[in-house]
Amino acid sequence: MDIVLQQLVNGLTLGSVYGLIAIGYTMVYGIIGMINFAHGDVYMVSAYITAIAIALLTFFGIESFPIIIIGTLFLTVAVTGAYGWVIERIAYRPLRNSSRLSVLISAIGMSLILQNYVQLSQGANQQGVPTLLTGAIRFTVGDGFVQITYMKLLILFISLLGMGVLTYVIQKTKLGRMCRATQQDRKMASILGIDTDKVISTVFVIGAMMAALAGVLVTLDYGAFDFYVGFIIGIKAFTAAVLGGIGSLPGAMLGGLILGLSEALFAGLISSDYKDVFSFSLLVLILIIRPSGLLGKPEVEKV
Amino acid sequence: MSNAVIRKTLISLAVAGAATLAQADVVIGVAGPHTGPYAAFGEQLWKGAEKAAADINAAGGLKGEMIKLVKADDACEPKQAVSVANRLVDSDGALAVVGHFCSSSSIPASRIYEEAGVLMVTPASTNPTLTDQGLPNVFRVCGRDDQQGDVAASYIVDVLKAKRVAVIHDKDTYGKGLADAMKSTLNAYGVKEVMYEGLTRGEKDFNALITKIRSVDADVVYFGGLHSEAGPLVRQLREQGSKAIFISGDGIVSDEFVSVAGSPKYVDGVLMTFGAPPSSYPSGKKVIKEFRDSGYEPEGYTLYSYTAMQVVAAALSNNNLDPVKGSEWLKSHSVNTVMGKKDFDDKGDLTVSDYVMYEWDAQGKYHQVN
Amino acid sequence: MSQSVGINFKKSSIDALVAGFLALILFGPIVGVLLDGYGFSAEFGRVAWMVAIVVVGRFVMSCFFQTEKGVAMAFRYANNDEGATVLSPNHKSKMVWIIPLVILVGLLVPFVASKYVLTVVILGLIYVLLGLGLNIVVGLAGLLDLGFVGFYAIGAYGLALGYENLGLGFWSMLPIAALLAAFAGAILGFPVLRMHGDYLAIVTLGFGEIIRLILTNWASFTHGPNGVSAPLPTLFGLEFKRRSKDGETFHEFFNLPYDSAYKYMFIYLILFAVVWAVLFIKHRLVKMPIGRAWEALREDEVACRSLGLNHVLVKLSAFMLGASTGGLAGVFFATYQGFVNPSSFTFFESALILAIVVLGGMGSTLGVVIAAFCLTVLPEMLREFAEYRVLMFGILMVVMMIWKPRGIVRVTRTGFAARKGAVK
Repeated sequence: MDIVLQQLVNGLTLGSVYGLIAIGYTMVYGIIGMINFAHGDVYMVSAYITAIAIALLTFFGIESFPIIIIGTLFLTVAVTGAYGWVIERIAYRPLRNSSRLSVLISAIGMSLILQNYVQLSQGANQQGVPTLLTGAIRFTVGDGFVQITYMKLLILFISLLGMGVLTYVIQKTKLGRMCRATQQDRKMASILGIDTDKVISTVFVIGAMMAALAGVLVTLDYGAFDFYVGFIIGIKAFTAAVLGGIGSLPGAMLGGLILGLSEALFAGLISSDYKDVFSFSLLVLILIIRPSGLLGKPEVEKV
Repeated sequence: MSNAVIRKTLISLAVAGAATLAQADVVIGVAGPHTGPYAAFGEQLWKGAEKAAADINAAGGLKGEMIKLVKADDACEPKQAVSVANRLVDSDGALAVVGHFCSSSSIPASRIYEEAGVLMVTPASTNPTLTDQGLPNVFRVCGRDDQQGDVAASYIVDVLKAKRVAVIHDKDTYGKGLADAMKSTLNAYGVKEVMYEGLTRGEKDFNALITKIRSVDADVVYFGGLHSEAGPLVRQLREQGSKAIFISGDGIVSDEFVSVAGSPKYVDGVLMTFGAPPSSYPSGKKVIKEFRDSGYEPEGYTLYSYTAMQVVAAALSNNNLDPVKGSEWLKSHSVNTVMGKKDFDDKGDLTVSDYVMYEWDAQGKYHQVN
Repeated sequence: MSQSVGINFKKSSIDALVAGFLALILFGPIVGVLLDGYGFSAEFGRVAWMVAIVVVGRFVMSCFFQTEKGVAMAFRYANNDEGATVLSPNHKSKMVWIIPLVILVGLLVPFVASKYVLTVVILGLIYVLLGLGLNIVVGLAGLLDLGFVGFYAIGAYGLALGYENLGLGFWSMLPIAALLAAFAGAILGFPVLRMHGDYLAIVTLGFGEIIRLILTNWASFTHGPNGVSAPLPTLFGLEFKRRSKDGETFHEFFNLPYDSAYKYMFIYLILFAVVWAVLFIKHRLVKMPIGRAWEALREDEVACRSLGLNHVLVKLSAFMLGASTGGLAGVFFATYQGFVNPSSFTFFESALILAIVVLGGMGSTLGVVIAAFCLTVLPEMLREFAEYRVLMFGILMVVMMIWKPRGIVRVTRTGFAARKGAVK
């Protein structure tokens, strides 16, 4: 019993991370219909910036955990946001009017560039950040226990907060309205006086910032990363985004949670060898039943 | 297009110092993952070989000819390993190769070297298949996974007297080979593992797996894999409150193991098998000091690579720079290296397995278990 | 207007300064602070260099885009026209001359090229096959497939495992692997018929990953990450080895000294023939009703179905034909390398094949051939750049896409003319 509960906790925390990164995919897809393959590598860049920020802050003698984490979050989110903007400007905007596949290839190229740029400047070795927050809440269940570390609680809390703020921005603010308008009909939106290029840039920045949020939290929690770390988590997050219905914000979070839970439960109760096979099979199954994902709007076939 | 034309195109595309076709020198390839996810090891290989070549050249070279190294990047992909091996033997005219790193690259490449009569000494590919192919030109200056697995298994059974052993591997040629070797020796001792599973390289969240380790109540966790996964694994193991003893192989020999684990306190007590310490050899001390003086910490495979280069140099210089004769010569002669005297058997493996058990302490350093 | 003549240096300077500031933010932490354990060392010199390069580069670019030439260029890239180039009805293709010439040169290659060049060319041809296969699925039928590497793996492992378990050699596995891959294509095809665009992409990606994971995990059958050896092709039973366990070897039979280049020559010649056969078949297929149906379905599925086109059959045939070509490529890959293991069949490989198709120009056969050679030969040529190789490759990929978003070669069609005697 305690084991199953513990696996549920493991799955939820893993899933919330997937969800955070999936937001970047889903927003970009929603607005310009492209799969941003470089997104996982933006996450990777943010992991490096996290470590650098922590190293800098400790160098200046700051020891208290809250200041370090807030400072790191602020720095990382800002710099990674700039990365998001520049990537869009360089690799995607010149292809705005081309086929979606050209942008996809450009994104794959961008992903290679980011990986190798980081490898060349930071070296290929494994990097780590020191453990800053330890300890856990434990509940006794039967003879065993179920625990959730403070770091995981922080991840859950911040990702929920991030989701909430983002949902508010998209649903209630002027910027959100412009985003939604651009998403529905870019041409029409620009005729109505919305600077769609700016909106698209903003979306890339927001996506990168959410990836940075995940980057800071995950890096603090797992401690280890290298320049290749964005690849697997990027594919997982993309899967999560599609599972939940690509283009839908709550769908990204839901997809992330489902993916995280299915991985943890399958790995924990059956076999971790085949957990990815299981996740992908689950995805195929869900898509067969609901071809637009769980919360996605069914595609209207135009005649 | 003729060969010459293609070669000209290649050269014209190349940057200034790309005149790799110099004639007078002895060309030796250093093949390994200089890019890609394993690039850190490629760097170790390169640093070791570079230093060895510089030292040998400073001492007069091979039969008066200077060693010229060629960096050959395989990114640990078999496809690229084949290309680069053909390039080394063909365009670069290499007489010998130090490398490759990944066993999955070394195996296909070794056949190309054999056909071309090129000597291959790998500092790091421990998979038994490599030398079991029976190729006359293939040598390694590291141990075999089965030797390493034996040491670990007998330690688990004899010293730790563990009954519940969980075996984890990273589904890679090296990691799985090591875990399998350990498992089969363990089974031969009559201990059946309580769990045998693989994790995915590149992932960092192993909580589900660890909860499972907790549920089978393992008292020893054996991990076949590299420090990039071992670090988060041991950390999450401790975070979930498991006190199981963590044992791994030479894939975690790196100071980065401590930094990826998050804190030295997590690696405290971790055991690993690794070759006898190079610093125990007098000649090794000097080289290590020179490395440190130049600002580079010779960790992991650096000294193995240095050793491999010395083996290559010995084989070539004693046989008029003939790699085929050199290969035969190596099987009956021993070579003095920074890691001691090395003898090879008919397969090209070291005759003496020098694996010993090390333990990491709370300061994040490792030392031999007495 | 006046500003199109003169260059507004003030604007350029501001552009350059903004770019420099951004570069400082981007490069500052990643390039300037080198992590070392939990500490760091500062490398401000590198940042200064990179920022300087960006500032100067941006300034030059900004100036250039204010000149007449630059304005014209910017305008050209802002308008990427779509569709095919229509040739005049009387257009006579120069291919009649080029093809025999290429065949002739191609046949000469193995005898003049060095072994290294030959292996690179073989790899290039394997990617031509892969590109042609995926081109049917993505380029013609418009089904975005990110898991094409799965079929490639089926072909490669088919040869290796077929040899190990059933004793089947290269020649028997070549057609069997193609059939196996086609069968796998059909299995993948059925569930995804309802899906569109990017959902299809992720499902196929999942399929490719599932194949790779099974190859990795099912160790008792596939030997997992240790990989399996694959046999070489034989010439009427003659082997291309130095010594043969049973029977004669090629060089003994012909009384030649042993040279490992023979086997590459032989593989090359078979591969060359197969590539031409596939090219020919594909060329004919595109002109046949099935090929027209693929393209029609790509452009408008609803219209096709309402006109009575069986979309199940059309999509499945595209999947199966594409997959079988991938399977063929896999067999050649396995025999060329002599060894297969799952690390050759990662998602990146799928992306590379897709890049070949897109870079070549969707649906264009010639483009695919050119792009396949570019993308396999390029990394080899870039070897001189050592560790900067993959970075250069990535940059070239982005630049190529921006420069030619519709691929190197655009699809061309011969225009229609009224037939003789027809009423005008």
